[in-house]
Amino acid sequence: MTFLRRTTLGTMAAALAFSLAGFSAQAQTKLRVFSGGQNQRPDLMRKLFDQYQAANPGITIDIETGGATSELQRQYLSTVLNAKDSAIDIYMIDIVNPAQYFGAGWLEPLDTYVGPAATALKPYLPVYASANVVDGKVAALPAFADAMFMYYRKDLLAKHGIAEPKTWDELSAAAKKIQATEGNANLQGLSIQGAPIEGAVCTFLLPYWGQGKEFNDAAGRLTLDKPAAVKGLGTWLGMVDAGVIKKNVAEVKTPDTVNEFKAGQAVFAINWGFAWDRFKDDADSQVKGKVGVMPLPAMAGGRSATCVGGWQWAVSAFSKHKAEAAKLVKHLASPASSKFLAVEGSLLPTYAEVYTDADVNRQAPWFKDAAAVVVAGKSRPLSKDYGQVSDIIRTTTSAILARTKTPAEGVDETEGRLRRVMR
Amino acid sequence: MADRLPLLDRLRDPSERTLGLLLLAPAFVLLALIVVYPIGRLLWNSFFDLRLSGGGGAKFVGLDNYALVLTDQDFWNATANTLLITVITVPGALIVGLGLALLANLPFKRRWPVRLALLLPWALPLSFAGLIFAWFFHTEYGVVNDVLIRLGLEDRRDPTMWLLKPGWAMAAICLTIIWKTSSFMALILLAGLQMIPRSLYEAAEVDGATPWQQFWQVTVPMLMPSIVVALIFRTITALQTFDIPYTMTKGGPGHATQTLAMLIHATTIDYLDLGYGSTLAVCMFVMSLAVTAVYLRHIGRQAQ
Repeated sequence: MTFLRRTTLGTMAAALAFSLAGFSAQAQTKLRVFSGGQNQRPDLMRKLFDQYQAANPGITIDIETGGATSELQRQYLSTVLNAKDSAIDIYMIDIVNPAQYFGAGWLEPLDTYVGPAATALKPYLPVYASANVVDGKVAALPAFADAMFMYYRKDLLAKHGIAEPKTWDELSAAAKKIQATEGNANLQGLSIQGAPIEGAVCTFLLPYWGQGKEFNDAAGRLTLDKPAAVKGLGTWLGMVDAGVIKKNVAEVKTPDTVNEFKAGQAVFAINWGFAWDRFKDDADSQVKGKVGVMPLPAMAGGRSATCVGGWQWAVSAFSKHKAEAAKLVKHLASPASSKFLAVEGSLLPTYAEVYTDADVNRQAPWFKDAAAVVVAGKSRPLSKDYGQVSDIIRTTTSAILARTKTPAEGVDETEGRLRRVMR
Repeated sequence: MADRLPLLDRLRDPSERTLGLLLLAPAFVLLALIVVYPIGRLLWNSFFDLRLSGGGGAKFVGLDNYALVLTDQDFWNATANTLLITVITVPGALIVGLGLALLANLPFKRRWPVRLALLLPWALPLSFAGLIFAWFFHTEYGVVNDVLIRLGLEDRRDPTMWLLKPGWAMAAICLTIIWKTSSFMALILLAGLQMIPRSLYEAAEVDGATPWQQFWQVTVPMLMPSIVVALIFRTITALQTFDIPYTMTKGGPGHATQTLAMLIHATTIDYLDLGYGSTLAVCMFVMSLAVTAVYLRHIGRQAQ
């Protein structure tokens, strides 16, 4: 009897242990996600992960955050992925990176999980649909959009009876007029980023694209029009000479523009979409309710174009749970997630229809204007050597704005260096 | 007597030699793993085209990477910047460090404030020092321009853009490096100073030597070994300068303050060109080795 009871108990215990083991093996699919820095809102991503975990028992998601800027994140991920580390299953990357990561063999093409590129990326805004396809394969899926916007002081323009400028010349004249009559020595006409950071690539491209010129063709080959590039950079230097842009512009980084505009020290400012919330919500903002957003001016005779940013979800080529990771990425890049991020954090949607969604517009009325800017946006050159392309453009642009090189010299140097990379 | 011969015999005994080798093996393996393997791998990589962006595997290119170095303007520019920083900051730090060490060696009642002041810059991480000084030299928000404007030495509407002019940017970086590294110099020299017997100074005083003569005839010669050691360490770290220019100027304006270590970092981490990056690193390694050899020969000669 005792023997029998003991065996029964033993069998039961063993069965229980086995079923527990089976259960925990199922529950143990742990996905580790690198979700960028604070500007990429890991707090909101965590909420998305929590929702997904609740709907998918058996998946737990760990979040990892990294450097504050795109460059720092790229340096960190380069180190991890170059070592073929399987610790990170999914990572968030800047719009400029899919081609480079694909080229290095660091990301898992998603075609087998989400279908071919032509159908999988069709629902997204065109610029994201093209940025995430490399060599015909789905390299990543869009998380949220961003673009360079022209912010301006609605109150000052109204006070001086000035309409939204359509060209850079008009903008320069408007800024000068306001600066002269306001009598505030600290008031800048326009704030742009001239420090050798990623933003300086856009500083180079905006007045170049604004002339209707293309930087590269569909195959990624360089199509730089040198006179147009010289003219574009000359526009910035002309504004420096006119006192519209400040002299030490080559020192200005993204947060400097945000802080100075927030303190009421700039009439116009070019910056990413996240700045809107800083102007609107920050306790120390002097410009609450006084900020407008408009499309970027064009060069005389050209057309308006802005620099598109934004973030993508990619599955690591070294992940041990690629199928589960791809499923999560598909969810994170869905219209529902895009809407969630727009409503909760004013992160710009990657789907056209979300911009006109009633809930989204109640939360962020400026998205109606933003949609036109993002749709008209262009992406920076998609190159497998983007790290080098970016470094060449931003270093030379900054040097030209610091006036250690003339625009002609700088553009010659840029072209010579880029020709070797973008063949 | 009977014990001594067997010892020699035992050394000749192959089994004893095996034991000796076995005992040495762990240390050797460890060294090989952390020193020999990485250097060997670096050298090996420098003969390959290892551009990750290409997607393909490594391609053997022989000495092509080294040929590329010779015609690479960026390499020569970075080398020139690195040597300039070395030539300015090593003697600079030696002079300032010697001054600090002499000061700290004075018979103060309370020495600890002086010594703490000596230790602090040394304890500060390099990149922090770079960021702090970058703020000092910032055109608008920096304390340097603020003081100059208040003293009436600069026009408020046209302040100097220290970090945006090649010459000034280099000067600012050198100043920061001297500030940061002279305390390390001072620490080594202070240890040297404290080993000089007081009796030498007493004897010199009896002979009627002035303090100036005492410094040149007693202090400097007695301090020479410490100076050489400090110079070796400082020169090698100066050749590897990275953190301070990286945080202060990112090598700008343009490439005016880019050092060799920064070029290697950009080539490998940003451009993902591991083959050429390795080649550049080998060149830097050879430079460090050459400098060390010169110093070691100098020390060898002194010892004789």
